Amino acid sequence: MDTIRLYLHSMRMLIRSQLQYPLSFFLQTLAQLVMEGGEMLAVILLVDRFEHLNQWGAGDLYFFFGLMSVTFYLTECFGRGITGNFPYLVRTGQLDTFLVRPRGVLTQVMCSAVDPRRITCIAVGVAALIIGSGMAAIEWTAAKVLLMAEAILCGSILILGLFMIEAIFCIYSVKSIELVNALTYGGRSACEYPIDTYPRPLRVLFTVLAPFALTLHVPGAWILGKPLFGWPEWAVWVSPVSGIVFFWVIWGCFQKAMRHYRSTGS
Amino acid sequence: MRAYLSAFRMRRKMELQYRGAVLGGVICQVFFGLILVAIYRAMYAGKPQEIPLSHITSYVWLQQAFFRMLLASDPELTDKIRTGSIAYDLCRPLDLYGFYYVRIMAQKMTGSLLRAVPMLVFAFLLPEGWGLMLPASAAGFAWSVAGLFLGLLCVCALENITMGFTMRTLDARGMQALLNLLMMILAGNILPLTLFPDSWQRVITLLPYAQLLDAPIRLYTGDTPPSSAPGILLIQGIWVLLLTGVGILFWRANQKRIEIQGG
Repeated sequence: MDTIRLYLHSMRMLIRSQLQYPLSFFLQTLAQLVMEGGEMLAVILLVDRFEHLNQWGAGDLYFFFGLMSVTFYLTECFGRGITGNFPYLVRTGQLDTFLVRPRGVLTQVMCSAVDPRRITCIAVGVAALIIGSGMAAIEWTAAKVLLMAEAILCGSILILGLFMIEAIFCIYSVKSIELVNALTYGGRSACEYPIDTYPRPLRVLFTVLAPFALTLHVPGAWILGKPLFGWPEWAVWVSPVSGIVFFWVIWGCFQKAMRHYRSTGS
Repeated sequence: MRAYLSAFRMRRKMELQYRGAVLGGVICQVFFGLILVAIYRAMYAGKPQEIPLSHITSYVWLQQAFFRMLLASDPELTDKIRTGSIAYDLCRPLDLYGFYYVRIMAQKMTGSLLRAVPMLVFAFLLPEGWGLMLPASAAGFAWSVAGLFLGLLCVCALENITMGFTMRTLDARGMQALLNLLMMILAGNILPLTLFPDSWQRVITLLPYAQLLDAPIRLYTGDTPPSSAPGILLIQGIWVLLLTGVGILFWRANQKRIEIQGG
């Protein structure tokens, strides 16, 4: 409880400090809107030209796109400490200061940054979800709303886990490993579209290794009334938990890596 | 002239220093390319289009290969403007615009060629329907190389205009991000311009951003036949002159009212 209060307090302070430069903040927020708007435009234009993708119609595709962007940018907004400059903290030795304070390292990293500019990306995602749900004529029930909340939450935790991989590599090699971007940003770009778009190797990568398909696509498809893989209903509720399992494994690796941590600072 | 040439050479050498870091970037770019190709393949499987799939996959690979040409910018110059050491550059017996133009050109050209060669080799080796096709004709290939060069001149001029905004406001991250994103969309990096609605294409292909990579790629794949190549190159040439002219005037106006930071 205390941790949550600390987190909220940090968020308030950080947001206030960012608003000190209103023009730059406004333009950067606008830039985020153009970025995510551009991605959405690409989906709209593709739908306009091709009409459908496998069994997915226009509404389904917008819904999957919205699900991914809401999840990804909520994570980037509130988990900025981990998705942003965590590797940088390790590289410069600034992580040292976190080790002497009476709080967990991860708590402090989470409290160290927030990115309110992402609000426009989240807005685009919400718009895509609403348009998609309207076009696909989803009949919302309490169960569907709950499942969607679970998917977004578990998806966010999965994404945090993916971003932590780079920090772990950084503890061992000091250099940051750009390659991890293939999983994080690559995963985002790829899984804006349902998983059955892809050939087997990519399907395996995003189902087993980085389980975006299990956390987002399986519940998403069920909400749309076109269950993936022909799985029964209970499986739909269990599969997003894979995101938490993934995070838990990475968390274990991180604990192990921290014992290996040697400061680079002076 | 010799001074500009040596500025170009120095910058090229510097860009060649970080060959190790390039590898990670190339692998990432290849991965993104594969994802995009997979999406377009799945779309084509449902509803084939007039443009052959091989043209679209080639478009994706050429865009990915020359990605660095679009987005490389000179971090030193931004720093110099912010810290005020731009004052040293003002003392040089060189035209400031020309000096930075050749520097950014060396950076964009070397950086993108360094990445493009391994990526294009990889894309050639991919199976049919996934990779890069051979150029439609020898003439088309020759025109596309000429077009790519004009595209490079165009993107350097655009970069200098963006830098002009930095000089004016010191912290132009928002502005830079906006212009760069506009470029990614209108240059065909996010979605090939050939897949935009046909009515849009008539307008978009005339804009400066389409001159960078879209025009040469269309010459390469044969979407633009070699017979209409001179017209395309003419449009590119006009934009190069226009953008360079605007940039020079902008920089000159900036230099008149420049404030040196620091102390």
